[in-house]
Amino acid sequence: MLSDITIGQYYKAQSVVHRMDARMKLILTVLFIVIIFLCKNFFSLAVMFVLTAVSILVSRVPFRMFFKSLKPIIPIILITAALNIFYVKKGTELLSFWKISVTTGGLSTAFFMAVRIICLIMVSSLLTYTTVPTQLTDAIERLLSPLNVLHISVHTLAMMMTLALRFIPTLIEEIERITNAQKARGADFESGRFLERVKAMIPVLIPLFVSAFRRAYELSFAMTCRCYHGGEGRTRMKQMKLSAVDFAALGVFLLSLAGVIVLNRFFQAMI
Amino acid sequence: MKKGTEDVLLNNTPILSTEDLTYIYQKGTNSEVTAIQDVSVDILQGELVGIIGHTGSGKSTLIEHFNALKKGTSGRVLLDGSDIWADKSKIRSVRFRVGVCFQYPEYQLFEETVAKDIAFGPKNMGLSEEEVNRRVTDALTYVGLSQSYAEKSPFDLSGGEKRRVAIAGIMAMEPQVLVLDEPCAGLDPKGRATVLQMIASYRAKTGCTVLLVSHSMEDVAAIADRILVMNRAHVAFFDTVDAVFSHAEELQEMGLDIPRITQLMLSLREKGIDVPANLYTVQQAYDALRPRLKGGSRHAQ
Ligand SMILES: Nc1ncnc2c1ncn2[C@@H]1O[C@H](COP(=O)(O)OP(=O)(O)OP(=O)(O)O)[C@@H](O)[C@H]1O
Ligand SMILES: [Mg+2]
Repeated sequence: MLSDITIGQYYKAQSVVHRMDARMKLILTVLFIVIIFLCKNFFSLAVMFVLTAVSILVSRVPFRMFFKSLKPIIPIILITAALNIFYVKKGTELLSFWKISVTTGGLSTAFFMAVRIICLIMVSSLLTYTTVPTQLTDAIERLLSPLNVLHISVHTLAMMMTLALRFIPTLIEEIERITNAQKARGADFESGRFLERVKAMIPVLIPLFVSAFRRAYELSFAMTCRCYHGGEGRTRMKQMKLSAVDFAALGVFLLSLAGVIVLNRFFQAMI
Repeated sequence: MKKGTEDVLLNNTPILSTEDLTYIYQKGTNSEVTAIQDVSVDILQGELVGIIGHTGSGKSTLIEHFNALKKGTSGRVLLDGSDIWADKSKIRSVRFRVGVCFQYPEYQLFEETVAKDIAFGPKNMGLSEEEVNRRVTDALTYVGLSQSYAEKSPFDLSGGEKRRVAIAGIMAMEPQVLVLDEPCAGLDPKGRATVLQMIASYRAKTGCTVLLVSHSMEDVAAIADRILVMNRAHVAFFDTVDAVFSHAEELQEMGLDIPRITQLMLSLREKGIDVPANLYTVQQAYDALRPRLKGGSRHAQ
């Protein structure tokens, strides 16, 4: 169902990760992605796996939440794994028929890739579970503020992002309401062929767009009435501050980076 | 009691009933909300039932069960004596027999012209083009819009007109039971009176059963035969208008605004003047108070 979408879904809890500065969390997430692509063998990957596990434990976000965000991409993981199993031909051959053969190298590469994707998804969901969307866009705005020099209005972009995130749940609710209203008039969304189903969406999409535009106008009027004029000279209610926890976390991530580099050197590369 | 109410209540074959209907939102999570609990009501053929209750008392949730948009967590809904969920392939026909018009229906208009939008329901029913056209014309008349509106764009109308077009879209399906969720919300007194008038005359013409959800006791008291009062997911009262208003104090405790004139009668009673508490129109109050007024009726009129 629509309500299963977890983009920007904040999970309320009391934890060190929740308290961390959003900018640091964002930087560390990017750093994590870089490091995990540097991993060349199972030993260095193990380091990142442990790091993922520890971050999740510390965040106090229940594991089922991560499973929920993982569910939609299970097909992607399976397809990548399958491709790797059939295309990578290294090590000893385990079985072969017709033109297809499965090797130990193929199996371990498939496993390696799967673990890598899973860690990636988990860490990026961790960011959205522990950070309120507004803080996240705020962090993006600040991290990208050097781009202002190039006359790119980072503030406007960030504001657009904040508003978009804010209105996702509202629009989902709206879709459900309109769908119900049209069903009450006998609209049929469940049967028919592809083209008929697409056509059946029109009575929902048109009112949805109309109301989205209406909301946008109303919101922009409301913002103008409160003298909103863009980012220039605008101060913030919530100041962001780096604390000891943030630096400690940065330290842990840098150590992991060092570990990965060392392990990559000492052990044979897999991929 | 209102004229005609006895007739309706005597002819008491239920058309729509619920049996111990319960609905829980977000079941199985830690944020479960029981929106309605053990609701058992019988709506009789041809009556006009007003459903009132404070915000969040479960009115909208209840009516979504009547046309099978929601399936009760437990309990049943019977239409003409048969369970609406008995045959899944007949769900759509249930929706044609029980026409539901939701809160703020003006936001569901989507066609290029008013006529096309009203025709959406009848077309889904698979009616012939002639029949669809007849129904569109009739529905426009029911809601008091002239035929010149037929070719206008629904997006160019005023809020109140849009509301009427949306209601016409449900009426055009000629359902056996017409359910309206707060059809007067956000309209001015004149708009409210028009909509209520429209509903009453539609019912007089077609003889269909009507359920009317409202916050306002005054609106409901004026046209309903019986009132269903919802309070915190439960049915508090379900009785004739007179009988419900005799519980005026309990109603006030539930946060419902009883009609002003009833409030006045209540405060007179508090002052020790013995007047009946179940009055809800000025005329009734006038009749009850006249014998007490010195100088006869000249003054009071
Ligand atoms: N989608 C939903 N998810 C969770 N809870 C809901 C949802 N919709 C309604 N509720 C809850 O169910 C209860 C009943 O809501 P409902 O909309 O039926 O009330 P109502 O009587 O129609 O109120 P109103 O007069 O404001 O329209 C409320 O407590 C509400 O918070
Ligand atoms: Mg409601």
